[in-house]
Amino acid sequence: MLSCSNLSISYGPRKALDGFTISLAPGEIRALIGPNGSGKSTALQGLSGLIKPAEGTVLIDGAPIAAMTRREIAHRLSFLPQQPTAPDEMTVEQLVRQGRFAHVGLFRRYDRRDEDAIGWALESTGLAPLAQRSLSALSGGERQRAWISAALAQEAKILLLDEPTTFLDIGYQIEVLDLVHTLSRERGVTVVMAIHDLNQAMSICDRISLLEKGRVVFDGVAADLAASGLIERVFRVEGQFVQISPDGPPHFDVHLQRRQERRTSAATA
Amino acid sequence: MSTVPSRPGAAWQAYLLPLLMALVLLSLALAIFLGVVDLDPSDTLAALLGHGSPEARAIIIEIRLPRILTGMLAGIHFALAGLLLQSITRNPLADPSLMGVSQGAMLAVSGFLVFSVYSHDTGSTTLQELPVQWLPLVGTAGGLAAGGFIYLIAFRRDLGPLRITLCGIAVGAVLHAIGIGLMAGWGSGRLEVLLEWFAGSLYARGWQHALFLAPFTIAGLAILPVIRRPLELLRFDATVARSFGLSYQVQFSVVLLIACALAASAVGVVGPVVFVGLIVPHMARFLAGRHPPLVLPLTIALGAIVMTLADLAGRLVGGAEEIPIGVVTAICGVPLLVALLRKTP
Repeated sequence: MLSCSNLSISYGPRKALDGFTISLAPGEIRALIGPNGSGKSTALQGLSGLIKPAEGTVLIDGAPIAAMTRREIAHRLSFLPQQPTAPDEMTVEQLVRQGRFAHVGLFRRYDRRDEDAIGWALESTGLAPLAQRSLSALSGGERQRAWISAALAQEAKILLLDEPTTFLDIGYQIEVLDLVHTLSRERGVTVVMAIHDLNQAMSICDRISLLEKGRVVFDGVAADLAASGLIERVFRVEGQFVQISPDGPPHFDVHLQRRQERRTSAATA
Repeated sequence: MSTVPSRPGAAWQAYLLPLLMALVLLSLALAIFLGVVDLDPSDTLAALLGHGSPEARAIIIEIRLPRILTGMLAGIHFALAGLLLQSITRNPLADPSLMGVSQGAMLAVSGFLVFSVYSHDTGSTTLQELPVQWLPLVGTAGGLAAGGFIYLIAFRRDLGPLRITLCGIAVGAVLHAIGIGLMAGWGSGRLEVLLEWFAGSLYARGWQHALFLAPFTIAGLAILPVIRRPLELLRFDATVARSFGLSYQVQFSVVLLIACALAASAVGVVGPVVFVGLIVPHMARFLAGRHPPLVLPLTIALGAIVMTLADLAGRLVGGAEEIPIGVVTAICGVPLLVALLRKTP
């Protein structure tokens, strides 16, 4: 489906991504986790062909992405960057319509299929009632969903999301995650998303890649990540993995400095 | 699943374009029939049809008509260039003068005049001996060169809209300073032709000027259907636009080239008429409201109307000493811009 091997990207002297390797199965949901500046966004931009790598190649269905036009890429892969901006007066529907550019190109009229895709994208993000609202009049959560909707209208089989839940309240966060899950299971969409919430990552993803300073230090399922002890080292925190339900994902419980202090002071008293 | 939504206000906006086309014709008629020389309307009509007195025919066919047409074409150029530049730089204040195109044309014109005066050494101070027929070509070349220069600077790193705007302002300021410097201490009547051109004027513009502009206008309008959708996408971040499938750099360059060619040719012919390129796109966007497809045609129609009416006002108000159109657009443009910006959400 989508894969890359030994991808390296540098910003000036700094290597933002160093030998990044990933291989995705159709319909897989993959989380990219890692501390700030560990290369998650760079990895996504490299995978979507937006940054030309210094080394390595990205393959979509076996074909190198570097040889494709932007439209050919957009047919197969849609990428939603972190906090994108749009012209203020643009309406939700107008934004979502832009998602069809890969299909309609410069001249073709929007036909039934395009309108259906736009309608479906609006429906599945719950934005149909707000379609005529201008983006500047939306709340942060609604705006984020409008962007996801535009990415959905593209109807690509691969969806790359850069922190799609940031700045959303917990209700919308879960809504986005549920949507991702539905897309993967019902439409066979392959999803790669950078995400900060470790527990959400473990609960929704098939596999997890952990990045540290541009390198992949872990690639596997949540249970193995829990056993590896890497989280505590990479994020410089203390905590433990607990199993809340027997067949559910592990849950990481962080120890707060303050709580520990209270515990030690209670012990000495 | 049908997604043909009800569009509020669609009823009256459907009449907008026909209305503006009628206004184009009305302003054309007004500009033909009104003027400093009082002609009888029937005389004017006869002249248009190829009859009438020789005097009326000379005034209408040789003076007014080409002047109005030149103005309309130049107006379309300025307005379209402004719209394109505002879209791709994502800067609502972008216009040809901000991108250094006007200043490039200005420097080329003043440099050319200085050079020709001293190289021919006619010893004359009269305007007639200056090679004014070359000004459009020289101005266009200068404007395009400035636009190309700015593009190259911006292109070396990336085509960030802020970078290209800042380059435009910086290069424009330098070119302007050199252009003014060339004129300094250049007294005498020769300055008049330059000053009039710098203010932006349609005075004594004839058929050759309209014909000079026409190929640019036709090429510019013909390519609009090709860049219609890219133009929408160019208003997003490069990352977003490319994710949607746009070849950003190619399309950005194409639109910038069209804008520069339209602006430079218009500046070359009528001088830097300020505010038309800035305000007309705002008027068009204001009128189009939530119907973005209307913005492009409205910009074209309004560009022609504004330019024609502004020139007519300058001709009528000033009497024998007409007010250059650049002055009229500047005076009327500022309050209009303030009003429009207040209404924009």
